[in-house]
Amino acid sequence: MTNPRLIQNFSGAQALLIVPPSTVTDILAGTLMKLGLTVASVIPAGEAPWLDFGILNPEHHIVIVDGDLPLPGLAASAVPDLPPVPVVGLVGVEAPSRLKGLLQLGATGLLRKPIHGASVYAALFLAVNEHNRRRLLEERLARHEERRRGRRHVVKAILRLMQEHGLDDDAAYEALRRDAMRARQPLEAYCEALVQARPSIAAAAVTPRLARS
Amino acid sequence: MGLSHHRIGILFSAEGPYGLVGRAMLNGALLAVEEVNAEGELILEPVICDPRGVLGGYVTGAEQLLGAGIRHVVGCYTSSSRKEIIPIFEKRDALLWYPSHYEGFETSANVVYTGAAPNQHIVPLVRHLLERGGRTAFCVGSNYIWAWENNRILRETLAIAGGQVAGERYLAVGETSFEQVIEAILATRPDFIFNTLIGTSAYHFLRDFRSTCRARGIDQPRTMPVASCSLAEPELEAIGPEAVDGHLSSSVYFTSIDTPRNRAFTAAYAARFPEGPTASADTESSYIAVHLLARALARAGTQDAATVRRAACADGFDAPQGPVRLDETTLHACLTPRIGLSTAASRFTIVAQAEEPVAPDPYLVRSDPRVVPVSRRPRLRVVP
Repeated sequence: MTNPRLIQNFSGAQALLIVPPSTVTDILAGTLMKLGLTVASVIPAGEAPWLDFGILNPEHHIVIVDGDLPLPGLAASAVPDLPPVPVVGLVGVEAPSRLKGLLQLGATGLLRKPIHGASVYAALFLAVNEHNRRRLLEERLARHEERRRGRRHVVKAILRLMQEHGLDDDAAYEALRRDAMRARQPLEAYCEALVQARPSIAAAAVTPRLARS
Repeated sequence: MGLSHHRIGILFSAEGPYGLVGRAMLNGALLAVEEVNAEGELILEPVICDPRGVLGGYVTGAEQLLGAGIRHVVGCYTSSSRKEIIPIFEKRDALLWYPSHYEGFETSANVVYTGAAPNQHIVPLVRHLLERGGRTAFCVGSNYIWAWENNRILRETLAIAGGQVAGERYLAVGETSFEQVIEAILATRPDFIFNTLIGTSAYHFLRDFRSTCRARGIDQPRTMPVASCSLAEPELEAIGPEAVDGHLSSSVYFTSIDTPRNRAFTAAYAARFPEGPTASADTESSYIAVHLLARALARAGTQDAATVRRAACADGFDAPQGPVRLDETTLHACLTPRIGLSTAASRFTIVAQAEEPVAPDPYLVRSDPRVVPVSRRPRLRVVP
């Protein structure tokens, strides 16, 4: 498994600002534009901040949210506990409740208010690359979890091959691995299909062997 | 009514480890001050402060100058000194006119950058080397940000072009022992050496590399040229006659630019500073900074930073390198990149030149790839 690709140039990306208009926004927007991003404000007038996840593209959008706001209702992402796009939090009041709110939104980069232009690139760099790294780790974890669930089918398939063909466990595993590779399927999925195609005739026969050991 | 009179700060280290460059920059600034005063539109009174290459000296100097009511300071050579004093300029809303090529990734509203940004020095150099067919590089540099960042850009550009960095060595600033590095280079035989050593380290390396190659019958300038983006004329003189020729350098200014404007500049400089040091890109950059500042002060009619900044961006200057103007968004200058090849006479023959001034791109948003490229080697293996 390769590491996530490191992003260093944010030109062409769009920053979605959930920040009340102020001089903070001016400095932030000015710096973001110097860095090649386009900037859009998504704070609705007179309403509680809210962001539609449906419009977000992980390759294109970066959300910048002011932690001093009543925090926006952001829906859950496909991968639990992780926003679908990188989030940079603006820290005004450095109180635990505000920081917790930013953490819950998945902020992986922080900018202290008042914003200083010279800290924006570093915050973006960290937020985007840390977000990508976490997303990759979560996806990897989900895949491992799925494979872990599938291991019981692998065990069953090994036992069946040992029984039906008189192989030892290493040879049975090797044969299954090779067949799965030829079928271009993950080993677990291949074994599951194999076991389900012909319901076991051997469950009873296996028991004494296990009991012997 | 008399001429408007402006005191401006000049903050260069004419003494200390990089005093040679500091004196060349100080001279460039002073020549421009004298030209402005002779033109008779306004009077500039330079207040000179020498931090002697000590970081703390820059802070004290900046505090003193701004504390005395000065709003505009031309100064700094190293990035570390500039970073050290920017907060002081931001706090007092004064302008620092920074006249040196540097590694980019900075834009402060209180700094005007008249030297080359990375897209105006390293990027054209790498393109030139690729056009010459160079694919394998060996990087030798002084161990600090200038070398790290330039090597990053070289490595990534080469990776995209299918080339690679065969070796990378960093040495302490001031290091003068290069036997091991030279042996490593000769064992690798790269297409070119990328040199980001500074000061005396660079001169020692170029001398030792040339003499080792000569002793082994290798035509070093032809087979393994050394390319740099900080090598200037005063440094060629410091290298000495044995190893001065055949080095590539990327710069927006060489004294050999053959235009009436540059000939007038080099003649005026030589007449005013016969004892040297020889003019260089940093000299010209300081000269540009003072002229742009003077013109902006004349247009603005005030020393207020925001007004002067606006006035400076609305104007241009016919510099020795060609027309120069400031980019309003980044406060960096539009400059003309060139590639020079050093000669036995300690000058550069210009071998390539941009057709027109190139807009600055300090964050390389138009030059860097979005994703960091990696040099790839085949990773597939046969599975039975």
